[in-house]
Amino acid sequence: MRNVWLIAKREYLERIHAKSFLIMTILIPIIMGGLLYGGAIINSRIGSNHIAVVTDNPQFAEDLKTELSGKNRKAIVDVYSPTEPGVRDLLEERMKKRSIGLGGYLWVTPPAAGESRGTYEWDPKAKADIVTKSRVADAVRGVLARETLAQKGMSATEVNDLLKPVELKPPPRDRKNSDAAFASAYGLFFLMYFVILFYGMNVARSIIEEKTSRVFEVMLSKVRPAEMMAGKVIGVGSVGLTQVGIWIIVGLAALNIQGLGSDFSDALPTPGQLVCFVIFFTLGYILYSSIAAALGAMTNSEQELQQMNMFLMLPLIACSVVIFRVVTDPDGPISQVMSFIPFCTPLIMYTRIIVHQPPIWQIALSIVLLIATIYAVLWIASRIYRVGVLMYGKKPNLPEIIRWLKYT
Amino acid sequence: MPIVELQHVRKAYDTKIAVADLSFQIEPGSMFGLLGPNGSGKTSTIRMMIGMTVPDSGTVKLFGQPFHRDLLSRVGYLPEERGLYKKMKVIDQLIFLGELHGLDAATARKRAYAWCERMEIIEAAEKKTEELSKGMQQKIQFIAALMHDPELIIMDEPFSGLDPVNATLLQDTLVDLRNQGRTILFSTHRMDQVEKLCDAIALINRGNLVLAGGMREIKSRYPRNRVDIIFDGDAGFLDHPTIESAKNYSGHAEIKLNDGASPQQLLAAAISNGTHINHFEVMEPTLEEIFIETVGGKADA
Repeated sequence: MRNVWLIAKREYLERIHAKSFLIMTILIPIIMGGLLYGGAIINSRIGSNHIAVVTDNPQFAEDLKTELSGKNRKAIVDVYSPTEPGVRDLLEERMKKRSIGLGGYLWVTPPAAGESRGTYEWDPKAKADIVTKSRVADAVRGVLARETLAQKGMSATEVNDLLKPVELKPPPRDRKNSDAAFASAYGLFFLMYFVILFYGMNVARSIIEEKTSRVFEVMLSKVRPAEMMAGKVIGVGSVGLTQVGIWIIVGLAALNIQGLGSDFSDALPTPGQLVCFVIFFTLGYILYSSIAAALGAMTNSEQELQQMNMFLMLPLIACSVVIFRVVTDPDGPISQVMSFIPFCTPLIMYTRIIVHQPPIWQIALSIVLLIATIYAVLWIASRIYRVGVLMYGKKPNLPEIIRWLKYT
Repeated sequence: MPIVELQHVRKAYDTKIAVADLSFQIEPGSMFGLLGPNGSGKTSTIRMMIGMTVPDSGTVKLFGQPFHRDLLSRVGYLPEERGLYKKMKVIDQLIFLGELHGLDAATARKRAYAWCERMEIIEAAEKKTEELSKGMQQKIQFIAALMHDPELIIMDEPFSGLDPVNATLLQDTLVDLRNQGRTILFSTHRMDQVEKLCDAIALINRGNLVLAGGMREIKSRYPRNRVDIIFDGDAGFLDHPTIESAKNYSGHAEIKLNDGASPQQLLAAAISNGTHINHFEVMEPTLEEIFIETVGGKADA
């Protein structure tokens, strides 16, 4: 045990002290934040706020403008009369000019006799601009509804109340609303997913590094291969946990400082869920690190490792495929089965716990299976390592690996 | 009680037989050379001694006990393939490796500095390993193997890649350790290098033992039938009947005598011939010659 600790400590300190650790710790949140925030800004500006309407009803244009303008958005609606000569050419001309920023024009033809609705012709600047198109369509529908209801004698307030979106509230016994539960399930799912993916491979790399620098032979004359493996997994693993820990703490602190905490309080997990997160995250991390350790033991170089990457990715991809199903149907057969497959347990069982508490025995069983699998994988990895490192030069095939496992 | 005892050890990797059938033992307090050409099975033999691989058949005993891992705390091992953690400071590296052998950090630090001093690399102690020359790294590995003061020191090709000054430093250190009662085993393919160093040797070729035993005892098995003469004057004595063959490099003759012939007769004949003798030496065969003679010149070194 002492040796495991020593090896883990060495791996941990070496990595923590590396400059790349500091840089990545700072850079990744900035890049991720930049992408998310920047993406949100870019996406919110999608669609044009400036359109033209060709109608002989100025009231319609005014209503449309109100309808198009939102809380944070001021729409510009130019009005043209259809009787104006050459109006179509003029509009086409205006659309081509970038400085005007006209997103398209709506040509309103009043209803023919005996029809309740007129026709609305939409000619956009960009043919694929479905955002502006649906926005205009919604606005037109809103205007028509208001017009009709007002004609039937309803007051403006009555119409507003009627057209307000309906909010589905959670029952009072639930502290959280389902949107928040959903968000935190996803958030933590992807946190686990990426951390396992990014950091699991570090264990494999560290083992390959040991092979290329030929330190392993010195090490193997001092420690058992299993101690070596366990030390690596714990040491390299702790680095990832440290980094994630820093991000979470800094993130929470930032929320508190900015006073944004209250907005997000619904999305924060309960203490019970947090405990589950720590347990499943740690176990899942150890499991995948162990698999990565086995892959590292089998290969001699980074290039070879890349080819083996698949084995690490596949279970994770499988999890992300079924995650929607699990969130909507946490007690369904697929969710239940997947949560007992040790490679999926950390992600799926955890998601089930967040969404809908499964029976305790299921949670306990899944944890036991997970720990047993970790033990088995480490055992296999240390055997492969021990034989593999001494027969370097050639990538082993499957029968060889199986034969290695039988070596004593 | 021998410190190391190998009995009919055999190891095959797939179809390649690394060690066919090997038995020898190493006495306590001796300097033992495991000799053989490249690919003769030296490293495979050593790896079985320290339990890195397990023999297919036969037994390995250390300190009189069948091999088990706990015995490794009494063994210091320098592998042929040298490797260190590149990013680590030398001193930290030595402390780490010492701690893995059960030393506490303070003792390990003290010993590491003492050894660095002794091996004349104290100025490198605070540097990162990757900044050092290969020879220096080798010295550090040498220290790493000795940090826990092992009773048995096993070194696979310890002198390869060292300049003469450092090779001598290493040799002297090993001799010191032997004089302190440690048992030392090292392997090498440079047989000429170890003649004066070893108390006992095992010569192996293609996984088989060619000969083993005490250095003196082995040499005494082979007749001292070689004579080196440096002379001035008449070279006529080189036709003397005791001589089997002779090479004369203008005043320096390397002579092989007939079996049973006395070198004294040759010396007498030369003097009576009027030749002026500057140097006359009866030489024992070198290990290399013994090896070649024993395996019939098939050494694929």
